[in-house]
Amino acid sequence: MSAPFTLHRRAVLKGLGGFTLGLPLLEVMLDGRPAWAQTATPNRYLVFFDGQSLGADNDPVHNLFAPDTVGRNYDLKTALAPLGALKDEVSVISGLKIPTASDNGGAVPAGGRRDDFHVSSLSPLLSGMRSPADTSSAGPTSDQIVAGFLAQSTPFKSLAYRVQADWYLSVSAPYGRDMISYKRDSTGKVVPIPPQTSPSQAFAALFGNFTAPGVDPVAAQRLALEQRARTSVLDLVSGDAERLLPRLGAADKLRMQRHLDELRALELRVKAIAPTQTSTCVKPADPGADPVVGGSQGVDANGDNTYAQNLGYSNEEQRAKVFCDLIHMAMVCDLTRVATLQMTMFQSHLSMYQLTGQATDCHELGHGGVPGGTAAMAKAHAWHVKHFAYLLQKFKDTPEAGGTMLDHLAMAFLLEGGHGYDPGGAKQNSSHSTENMACLLAGRAGGLKPGQHVVKAGLHPASVLITAMKAVGSPTDTLGEVTGVIPELST
Amino acid sequence: MSLCPSRSALAVAACALWGCSGTAELQMPGGSAPVTLDPTAEVSVSGLRRLSRVELDATLADLLGDTTNAGQRLLPPDSTDPFDNDFRAQLASGALIESIEKVATEAAVRALADPARRATLVPCTAVGPDDAGCLRTVISTFGRRALRRPLTDDEVNRFASLQSLAVEAGDFDLGVKLVVQALLQHPEFIYRVELGTPVDGRDGVFRLSPWELASRLSYFFWGSTPPDWLLDAAGAGQLDSTEGIRLAAAKLLADPKAKARVERFHALWLGYHRLPHPVDLTAALQTESGALVDRVVFDEPGDYFDLFTSSESYLNSTLATHYGVSGFTGAGFAWTPYGDLPRKGLLSHGAVLSAGAKFSDTSPTQRGIFVRTRLLCQDVPPPPPTVNADIAPTAPNSSPCKADRYSAHASTGNCFACHQNLDPIGFGLERFDREGRYRTTDDNLPQCPIAGAGRVVLDGAAMPFSGPVGLADTLIASGRFEGCVVTQLYRFAMGRREAALDSGLIEKLTEQFKTNHRGFTDLMLDLVTDGTFSFRKDE
Repeated sequence: MSAPFTLHRRAVLKGLGGFTLGLPLLEVMLDGRPAWAQTATPNRYLVFFDGQSLGADNDPVHNLFAPDTVGRNYDLKTALAPLGALKDEVSVISGLKIPTASDNGGAVPAGGRRDDFHVSSLSPLLSGMRSPADTSSAGPTSDQIVAGFLAQSTPFKSLAYRVQADWYLSVSAPYGRDMISYKRDSTGKVVPIPPQTSPSQAFAALFGNFTAPGVDPVAAQRLALEQRARTSVLDLVSGDAERLLPRLGAADKLRMQRHLDELRALELRVKAIAPTQTSTCVKPADPGADPVVGGSQGVDANGDNTYAQNLGYSNEEQRAKVFCDLIHMAMVCDLTRVATLQMTMFQSHLSMYQLTGQATDCHELGHGGVPGGTAAMAKAHAWHVKHFAYLLQKFKDTPEAGGTMLDHLAMAFLLEGGHGYDPGGAKQNSSHSTENMACLLAGRAGGLKPGQHVVKAGLHPASVLITAMKAVGSPTDTLGEVTGVIPELST
Repeated sequence: MSLCPSRSALAVAACALWGCSGTAELQMPGGSAPVTLDPTAEVSVSGLRRLSRVELDATLADLLGDTTNAGQRLLPPDSTDPFDNDFRAQLASGALIESIEKVATEAAVRALADPARRATLVPCTAVGPDDAGCLRTVISTFGRRALRRPLTDDEVNRFASLQSLAVEAGDFDLGVKLVVQALLQHPEFIYRVELGTPVDGRDGVFRLSPWELASRLSYFFWGSTPPDWLLDAAGAGQLDSTEGIRLAAAKLLADPKAKARVERFHALWLGYHRLPHPVDLTAALQTESGALVDRVVFDEPGDYFDLFTSSESYLNSTLATHYGVSGFTGAGFAWTPYGDLPRKGLLSHGAVLSAGAKFSDTSPTQRGIFVRTRLLCQDVPPPPPTVNADIAPTAPNSSPCKADRYSAHASTGNCFACHQNLDPIGFGLERFDREGRYRTTDDNLPQCPIAGAGRVVLDGAAMPFSGPVGLADTLIASGRFEGCVVTQLYRFAMGRREAALDSGLIEKLTEQFKTNHRGFTDLMLDLVTDGTFSFRKDE
């Protein structure tokens, strides 16, 4: 990297002032990068999620996602068209399947799902564990397992963002469809990580610590005082939470412990020194106030759907772009190495009107909400893929360690379902199916070979994540109850 | 607006005792005996309850005059199922903690930037950045209001330690800002913490401290923090007796904040806190329903079931046209008789009839589920795994008519077993579309007349009804509706669904509700003056 060496004035002040750094002076000042960044170029791991199935009900076409061509230089159908020339950086893995209870005489098999559809694929797809009776994940998801060995002391162990701002139905709740990341908490229980949905909050959390280069010493001192004040407040609050713990009953103790864990994590992030800005690590532009969250979708006085009135839509287009920008820069600056971006919820009721011109929501596209079947569905996937490509292009355009950030990246794109037999409804060509699933895998970390279409009939889609995890340094080739990489995807 | 309600004798009594200004002292009648716990009574389980976003915003408004709704703008949404305060569904997350920090910081900055609000917060004149006495005054006064109890000396000292940063910066107000920031992120601000003292001989049962009881009362009646007079009453031991609790509760009820709370309870319960309609219609429908709730509960209190039988409604010209009320004139909202229209009460409001739409139309099944779960408090099991509930039923004879299409539920496999208890309820409401407008044929299908006849099966007996009028009459005649009203209020009050142990209290309150001619504020008072309300059981 050809970034000029500049000693950040704030780092100087901090070094001289002897403020709470958690790091010895020399270590901070070595090259202006924080200590956690002093190792070799780190790997990064990303999971992108599209909460739809590939095809629409009663359409014999399973998808317009998987290419006809197998191997390199594959053809781009509707859903992948936004990849364009970037297809050389993306592998497509198709023919995948999550086994169902029906396949196993009624009992949910290892790594499998219940026969009922929505959310039952969450656990096997993301954690490799068979779906539990409820809508949660039975095990920690791949991003949290990877964060366990990849994050080290980065300020953010991982990022969890969601683009779809709301459930958009008035008399129901998402019941777990709104989260894709699960971890083991300090008591060993598997708990969800509710994603951040506010781009402005995400920006403030990541880059609030940054100061512009060349800030004058007085202003720098004031900023340093502000940061110390913030940590003093957090320290007082978490101290009181800790003091409260032994006085609480067992169930409340768990709740407060969880709150305290998150407080401590925030404290560490605030205490962490913002990396020195370089030619690539630059504080992004403030995204400004969040787009207004749209109302529940519905009808107007004429009984027509009111998608055009921003019901069911909160400018997810802009939200997606900001989150992609933030994830990219957070990784450039090594604030984190792991991220999940849930574009849409499982069974997403995001309006498509503003995004693709289709007067229906994402979920209804799978059930004939507008004519066109799988071809109509593919347009929604293309919207998701467009943002995947946008983020990928940013990594490709960022030089790092003599190459680009792609060299240390594994970035997967997953979907809720495929298309085919639905054991719940006993129907063929159903969107409620985990047959004929497909995933994307981009990046070149650990010898990944992107740019090919690989058909793996009947293989579990978690194998794609295992391949990605292995590429960024996982010591095992297991995720939950699923084992084995896809050898064709790496050297 | 007078804080004294027009008709509640209790509230009038409270006003007579205290006056109705916010600062009046509590004057207790003599000889009030402390609440004792009936050894045979089950005590309700309670745990840490995080302020909902709406409660947080109301609390910030009361504490700091901050009306920016920062909680609703910045915090992750509460899950609403249907109430927004189920403490068992609350989950601390990184996103939540970050948002709370931002809310606290911004609220502190705003409070200090406004001279009038700063003066309330800082009731002394600091002689310099290191004026410890003045900052300690801020900590004790604002601290007591924020944490809803007095602070110990140790605690005051801990908050006072933040003053060193103010000294360094040469700015007294920085110390105030940090104190406010810390208090607004404090676990005992974010959560309602009930520690209490153990009750002898009752394992896991605790008597609430007076401060904890004051918070229970104010968050139940107001969804907000206890006012100074209530904290004063707690400190003076005046909430130890049933009489004291009743007087305090009546005074809380006499405040407009109680109206907003009761309106919100109904909006969450009946699913119209948000509506899938354009902004204007949504606002009009919510105004209409809120007005009827206000009228029946507060302004003209009487039989609560008037809410479901009222022959007039609070309409503007938009709603009059919407419902087909003829001859409406006037610019704003006015109480308007329905006349001959087949409507009465809340169930015929567009706000309530908006519930349960699916497949771009009303769903008789979803409306059936709504009536069973929300109005009858019954559990409806989810569809079995072999059912794809995402696909609209199709008629065996390819008829486009909805009645024919839904007949598939009666003829397909074992669907009938559940749908016979759901769809016929919805079909009784079919003449009202998903905005509550009247119709006689399926949308865009004039060849498909809607019969509008339905039935609800209760205790094995099929009760036929037609429309929201018939449904309301049937519910009221069933004798079961009171129990469900009480159950829903109990869920909202306790922040959780009831368990088997709660049935005794719910039945007792239901009997009192029936005996009291179904006075809704009486029900609220009965709940908080029940001997068990001053106690909690560990989860």
